[in-house]
Amino acid sequence: MNPATPAPAQWPDRYGDELYRFALSRVSDSDVAEELVQETFLSGLGGLVTFRAEASERTWLFVILRRKIIDYYRQQARVTHVGLDEISDSGPTEADFFTPENGHWTGQQAPASWLNADAALEQQELHDILRRCQERLPAQHGAVFALRFVEELPAEEICQALGLSSANYWVIVHRAKLQLRRCLEKYGMGKN
Amino acid sequence: MMLEQQADQPVPRPLRASLWLHLRYCPYCNRYAKQTVQIAEWVRASAAARAAAGPFLSDAAKERMSARLAAGA
Repeated sequence: MNPATPAPAQWPDRYGDELYRFALSRVSDSDVAEELVQETFLSGLGGLVTFRAEASERTWLFVILRRKIIDYYRQQARVTHVGLDEISDSGPTEADFFTPENGHWTGQQAPASWLNADAALEQQELHDILRRCQERLPAQHGAVFALRFVEELPAEEICQALGLSSANYWVIVHRAKLQLRRCLEKYGMGKN
Repeated sequence: MMLEQQADQPVPRPLRASLWLHLRYCPYCNRYAKQTVQIAEWVRASAAARAAAGPFLSDAAKERMSARLAAGA
């Protein structure tokens, strides 16, 4: 067989572990990660005619998986889609962090120092806490945050993928970060 | 919110200057600005670490997928 010819039946053995780990690094549910890998293979099989030998099979499958992951985030965000005027229902708002009179941080929410943050937590512990805090974000906030900071998509593409106005997008990014920071502090960040 | 916008798109010069000034004199906002950058870096590093050293796809799942692929789905 020509080495550039894809061999679909061998994909699970060749690329299954790598693709699965990648999917699991984006979604925390192992069943969902497995489903995403399976969908990737099936889409690959269905789209074999689009495969160009100049890209490696592996790279091509990763491109498909990334698209599947973005679709997954889109579905997650749609489940709890909220408009800008309703956004306060899906998580804390600026009023929880800033005093309305002057816009300054409220005493309780003022950011604590993370001077020794790297040393304060073991790497694995930090990863676990980050994941837990990300999972606590409302679905739409979590999807926007992951697409922006994990997938590193530009704002415009995220707005298009999730059907958000840019004003809505900025509010969500801002609130997701406020919530994450607060969650990290609850788990011990800044208390060193 | 301007902090997020500045990281993603060009912000008009006067706004950038006013943000810079504010961050210079507001220690909490300055701290927050640094922390949000740090969070983004950690999240990226954490995802990369999980992708590099996570669990394996089960043999049963691999077999199931191979069978579907061999049968042309």
